[in-house]
Formats: sequence, structure tokens, C-alpha cells
Amino acid sequence: MTKSDMKSAVNFVRDSVAWSLSGGLGYQLYLGILMLFMVLGLYAYSVQTSQGLAATGMSDIVSWGLYISNFTFLVGVAAAAVMLILPAYVFKDKDLHRVVIIGELMAVGALIMCLMFILVDLGGPERAWHLIPGIGLFNWPSSILAWDVIVLNGYLALNTLVPAYILFCHYNLRKPDERKYRPFVFLSIFWAFSIHLVTAFLYEGLPARPFWNNPLLGPRFLASAFAAGPALIMLALALISTFTSFKIEKTVFNKLRIIAVVAAIINLIMLFSEVFKEFYIPTHHSESALYLFFGLKGHASLVPWIWTAVSINLAATIILALNPGKNHPLVLFPAAALLFIGIWIEKGVGLIVPGFIPSPMGEVVDYSPTWVEICITLGVLALGTFVVTLLIRPALVIEERFALQEGSHHHG
Amino acid sequence: MKKNRNSEKMMKVCLSLTSLILLLFLGACREHTGHDGVTDRIKAAETKPSDQIQIDSVPLPPAKSIRAQMSYQGGLFWVEARKEKIGRFQCSQCHGNQLARIDQAVELAHGDIVNRHGAENKRLACKTCHDDQDRNFLTSAAGEKIDFDHGYQLCGQCHFRQKQDWIGGAHGKRIGYWAGKRTLLNCTACHNPHAPKFAKRWPTTFSPPLNQ
Amino acid sequence: MMSCRKSCNPEKQTESKRSTESACSRRSFLKTAVAGTGLLAGGCGSGMSGTAEKMHLNWQEYFKGNYRLMTPTEKEATVSRLERLAKIKYKLDVQISTREPVQQVLFGYAFNISRCEGYMDCVAACVKENNLDRKSQTQYVRIFELEHGRMDIASGNGKYFHEVPVADHFYMGVQCFHCESAPCIKACPTKATWREPDGIVVVDYDWCIGCRYCMAACPYWGRRFNWHDPDVPLGELTRKQHYLGNRLRRRGVMEKCTFCIQRTREGRLPACADACPTGSRVFGNLLDPDSEIRYVLKHKKVFRMKEELGTDPKFWYFSD
Repeated sequence: MTKSDMKSAVNFVRDSVAWSLSGGLGYQLYLGILMLFMVLGLYAYSVQTSQGLAATGMSDIVSWGLYISNFTFLVGVAAAAVMLILPAYVFKDKDLHRVVIIGELMAVGALIMCLMFILVDLGGPERAWHLIPGIGLFNWPSSILAWDVIVLNGYLALNTLVPAYILFCHYNLRKPDERKYRPFVFLSIFWAFSIHLVTAFLYEGLPARPFWNNPLLGPRFLASAFAAGPALIMLALALISTFTSFKIEKTVFNKLRIIAVVAAIINLIMLFSEVFKEFYIPTHHSESALYLFFGLKGHASLVPWIWTAVSINLAATIILALNPGKNHPLVLFPAAALLFIGIWIEKGVGLIVPGFIPSPMGEVVDYSPTWVEICITLGVLALGTFVVTLLIRPALVIEERFALQEGSHHHG
Repeated sequence: MKKNRNSEKMMKVCLSLTSLILLLFLGACREHTGHDGVTDRIKAAETKPSDQIQIDSVPLPPAKSIRAQMSYQGGLFWVEARKEKIGRFQCSQCHGNQLARIDQAVELAHGDIVNRHGAENKRLACKTCHDDQDRNFLTSAAGEKIDFDHGYQLCGQCHFRQKQDWIGGAHGKRIGYWAGKRTLLNCTACHNPHAPKFAKRWPTTFSPPLNQ
Repeated sequence: MMSCRKSCNPEKQTESKRSTESACSRRSFLKTAVAGTGLLAGGCGSGMSGTAEKMHLNWQEYFKGNYRLMTPTEKEATVSRLERLAKIKYKLDVQISTREPVQQVLFGYAFNISRCEGYMDCVAACVKENNLDRKSQTQYVRIFELEHGRMDIASGNGKYFHEVPVADHFYMGVQCFHCESAPCIKACPTKATWREPDGIVVVDYDWCIGCRYCMAACPYWGRRFNWHDPDVPLGELTRKQHYLGNRLRRRGVMEKCTFCIQRTREGRLPACADACPTGSRVFGNLLDPDSEIRYVLKHKKVFRMKEELGTDPKFWYFSD
């Protein structure tokens, strides 16, 4: 690296930080609120640290709860960036190419949240170094959790490096060298599928839990991710378009809508297939589904949640498919939000918790998160949003500068 | 044209990467089925391990045991000596080998004994098991004396299936050690000979409610 | 010095009520009290120097490796550190063994479902022997009461508390089955749990990071997690311990039945089998054709729980 490269890298970082923090009162207030939630999460985590995981609602029977539910869902959000990367880089879609950076940076935020959720779920986070290959002892390739550590960190690296390189070039007002980053883009496409499949295999590979031990789980993870992810990106783009000078065309929203609809329909077909298998001739293995949808032995804490999730999922899919408002923001965005929330519930708490109920010995207990768990979860979500915001803001400034320069070149 | 070739190359790289990862994944799966089952390992172990008996911390049979008058599949074994655990042994101290001629002697000396051995309306008589002539001994159906330490010989006359299991190891239990000289509890260590059926009682502890 | 001894006296009186959990909190309370009244100089036997030593030992403990990779010297060093820490923390002498498996031994267990009367002596003995947390009432062994005509454990009642045995019911004990193809071992991302050569599936409590994936992977609910600091009355503490067995666990790690490794490696019966008043529990060496367990496997019709999962448990059920 030459001296001038070094200098421009320093400038790049310095300017990015400056841009990410600069903004009007509204923006500062928004960051302040996120920080407030992060502080709340930090406080709750200090309570969890002093009391142990007993401060959560988890037990020897339901040994994973809100944290792992959110982790699972957010891996899908991270993977969904591929739904922008694939058309933008492989099919050279101009509209999506313009916003692909936003998708990639959202993936970074989602991955940071994933890793944070794993960390707060650990009984001994201070011993997490045992996981680092070389110093620790890594049970690879046997443990799917070891695979997950690799793919998540790898995906995080890919989704940091590629945008960083492109942004760095754009910052210096030069075109990035395609030959340099295209292999990594292709790798990240492949990697996006693998992070979500591996996360699904985490559950799918356990014969101990019939509710998860289902070959449809992996494909369904992908389908639900490719529905919920674009829905979230749609909402993020809407916010960016409203509050910043970076304007986004309607065609982008339409394309995202189509992607989300196709994935959501596939997801619903698979959900229907699963429900049919569980309830046509119910076996012992259907008890978790029975607990989830109808309650078991007087325990039914998830029943209202799953029916809410399924209904808003269905409603959102229908609205997005028929598109009655012709992409009108007042129809499109609430529908996207509904789809996102529906999948969040169904794939988060609705998937993880019933996997443990009833226990392998047939005992039925309910799980409900404590305030500590909820506050930590909010804190991690706020942290992710915070990171995404701080990444996207300078990225958009750089992109706009570059686009302006490109435009002037063409005119000149 | 060049671009096309480039992306073709990339697709190839991706494909080979994918197949490599899939292979590794299969590697993770194979590990499971490649393992010898425990039943195969058991079947293969046909000879008695020689040094297994020699765990330094395992004592010889406890002093208060006696060699059984029979052998099990592994040879000789020992049983817990019972005589010194019988509070009023020697019986001949009172009986002098005949009925004690004292008023209410039965109530005074043996009032604690409730006979619940045998069918409900046809309990066993004392003399079925106790030697009428020599009270320090039990008696077999054939009239042979049986030492109190070898009570299993007596019980086994009727409960021959249980005795078979006891000799083999499916009934009763070893004292303290799974290794070393095999020493078993006598039948009467667990079963009250006069009321052999286990009594109803409250469990020692309970499992916590796993839900509120 | 004298005043300090006196102030320590109330501690002695409540000796019987001392526990692993309260020892820590009271210590910190005492420390502040002592510091507040300026009695720091005398120290309380294990005053400041004890704290420094504790910190130093904990620091060394933090960087130790996985038990399986330790050299005999390293094992010795960690054991002496752990014993010293127990001395500082609880004023107790414990012996932590690292006894290796006996050659040509593969432990197996058989449970007689027609003999067990549901007295639960085994459960109580296990809790005591293995220093299980009393606060959350952790139990490795559980007994289920099942109705005649069904063999499905899920239909059983694991929370009974009434006079036993109940007519037309039978009792079935469950615990870790020490599977030969254990899904928990495969799941662990850090190799903190493994099968020893004598077949016992163990956990390195100091290597476990507490992700609980093994717990999700176990089809028999054989594993327990320390959700908070384990609470064991010091008066009832079993001091003869094994590194992989009943030594005191910390918060945030997994634990499980170890076939009482601290006993069985010395040739003794596990606490549950030793305590059973009905002789329903048969334990022994599967590689010894003359052993009781082999007799059961040969002469009785046995079955294993959820055999269809391919976990290959070393725990069989049989009936007379």
C-alpha cells in the first residue's frame, strides 16, 4: 500500500464517521433513542450477568428462548440481501444495483445482531474463546454449530469487504475494478444460501426434536427469509427515500414486492404441507405442533401468537400478490410490515419454543420471556439498527457524490 | 464475450466450492454410521478381562461375608453373612432345641413377627422354614439343615426362578462394588422373611414441579 | 486478632446451614463490614492475601485447556488449584481425582421395570453424591409412574408424591443413557463433552461455554444446565470428587449423570444402584462376559428407550 492510498483510506474512514454522525435534530434524536435502548439492554445484561441465565424465562425444558428465536430470524434477514445482490450483479438489474449497497449493509447489521444474540445466550460468554480455532477446540466438521460460526463470520466478512471496497473507490471518485470484487460477490451469493441452510440444519439435524427434524425446514427457512428480508428492505428504502435526499424509484419497490410475494407464497405452501403432515394423522411427533396451534395439557401460551402470525402472513401475502393499491405506499408498506412481523413471530418464537415442548419425557411447560430477556433483546435490536444507520448514512453520501460526478462526466 | 467467459469461470468456481462444502458436510454425517454399535462390541468380548478385577481401590470381600455354596457364571461368589444381624441369635439360648416353656413367650420374644408369607388364607407354618430340632438352623423341604448365612438355599426351593436370577445377577444386588470379588446381599437383607413383599411407603424424595 | 475471631464465630454456629452459594455472598458482606470498621489489618485468616491468591488461581484457571488435551502435570496443577480454591472459598478440604478409565471396561446399566417400586431412594442418593443444586432441585435421575398397558414414558407421571407402589402401575427410571452414538457429543461446538474409553459421556465443566446445543440434541432429556450459582449445603457436600464427575460446577455450564465416575472408576457401584432398596438397578462391565449386566442382556428380554433414533444407549430396561 502506497502512502497516498494510506492517506485516502484514513480520509475515507474519517469522512465516513463524520457523515454518519452528522444530521439534523430529528436524526440526532433518532440516534439518541436507539442509544437509550442500548443502555437499557446493557443494564438488563448486567442483571443477567449477576444472576446468571436464571434471570431469563428459560428452563431445563425450554432451554432456548427469545434470544435464539431472534437469532434464527435475523440470519434470514442477513441472507435475504442476496435477493438484491443476485439480480443486481448477476442479472445486471440497474434499479436494484443502485440500492444493493443498502441491502448489503443491512445484512451486516443483521449479522452483528445474530452474533450478539448468541453471545448474550451463552452461559459463559467469557469462555467464548474456546470456539476460536487454534486457541480453542473447534468441533468441526461434526458440530453444525461450529459450521454456523464459520458461515456467519464468513458472511459478515464478505458483506463488509465488498461494500467497503466499492464505497472506497466511489469515495475516491473512481470506478471499482469489477475483476477484484466480482468473485467475492459470487461467493457471497453462495454463502447467503449456506448461512441460512446451515442455521436450518442446526435444528433440522436433531432427531431429538421431531418438530424440527423435518427436511422441509431448510427450504422453508430460505423461502421465509426471502419474503421477510425484501419486506424489511422495502421499509428501510421507504424511510431512506422519505427522510434523505437519496430518492428511490417506484420500480424498485415493485421488484422487491414481486420477490417477496413469490417467496411468501412458496413459504405458505410449505407451511401448509407441514401442517397437513402434522394433523392429518397426528402421531407422537405432532405434539409440538399441537401445542403450538391448539395448546396441550392446558398450556397454550403460543396459540394466540401463531394464529396472529399465520393470519397476518396470509393477509399480507394476498395484499402483496393482488397489489390492490398499485404500489401505493399506504397499502404496500403496511402489507410489507405485516409480512415481516408475521414471519418474525412464526419463525422466531413459533419455531424455536415449541421444538422443546413437550420435553423428550413428555412434560409440558410454558415459556414466557422475562423483562431482562425482553430488554436485552430490544437492546440488541437497537444496536443493530444503530449500526445499520451509521453504515448506510455515509454510504449514501458517497454514492450520491459519485453519481453526481458520473453524471457530470457523461454531460461533459 | 470476455465477460461471458469470466462469469462462466466464476460459476465453475462456485460450483466446485459448493460440491467441496457438500462433501465436507457428508463427512460430518458419515461419522455417525461408521461407528461399531455397542451390541457388536459386547458380542466381541467373549473372554473375561484379566486385569479388570485388579482395581487397586477394590477391597477383598468384606469380612462379614461368606462364600456361597454354589457358583455363578464367573465362578465362586460370596454372600453377606446374616447370623450376626439376627438380634436374638443363637436361638438355642432360649429354646434349648425345644419349645420354650414360659407363659406368653411367643408374644414377648416374637411379638414383632407378623406372618405374611404364603397365600392369604394359607400362611406358611414356622416349621416350614425353621428346623424343629435344631433352632439355630433353617430346614429344607427335604429335612436338611440350612445355615442362616445360606438362607438363599431355603428361599430358592420355592422361588427357584428368583434364585436363578439372583445367582446370575438379574435379581438382588452386589454389596458396594461392581468389581472385585463378587459379594451379594442375602435374600433376607431386602425381604423380611416373614413378610417378603415390599411394603407400601412414601417415596424418599420427589421431583420438583417443572411447571408452576 | 481476637476481635476478629469473635466476629467470625457466628459463622461457626450456622455451619450446618452454610452452602456453596451463601458462602460467597456472606464473604463479600463480611469483607465490606470488616473494611468499614477498619479491622482490615488483622485479616480474617484468609483476608487480603486470600483474595489475591484466589484471583491469581482463577486467572490461571481461566487459561487452562480442555481436559482431554492436558498433560498429567497440567491435570495435577489444575486439580491442586481447584482444591485450593475450594479451601479458600468454602474452608473445605476436597479431593479431586483424575483417575483414568480402567482397561477393558465398558460400563453398562440395566433397569428392572418389574422390580422398581418407585421409592426414589436412588434420586436422593444421586443428589447427595453428585453435589446437585438444591435451589432448583436438580436431579439427574427421574422416576416415572406408568400405567399398565403402556410403555410410553410421555404418558407417565414424573411428579408423583404418594404412597408407592400404586396398584396397576409400574415405575421406570431415566437418566443419561451414555449413548455410544451420542447426539450431544456431535452437537457440542467446542468438544467440551465426549465419551470416555469406559463409555461414560462426560462434560468438562471448565471448557463448556454454555450454548445448550447438547441439551437440544439429547432425545432423553439427560442434561441439566446451571441457570444460577449452584447451591449445595456445605455440610452435605461430597468431598471425594472427580474432575469429570461430582466436583462443584459453576454457573452457566452443562452437567449430567456421569455414572458416578468418581465411584465407578474405583470399582464401586454408582450411588443410585447402591441406594436402590429393591435391586432394580444392575451395573457392570459390558466387556466382562460373566458380569451381571451381561447376564441380564443374555437371559432377559431387554429394550432400550427410543432405540429407533440410533443413539445406541448403554442403558437397558428389562423385566423378570
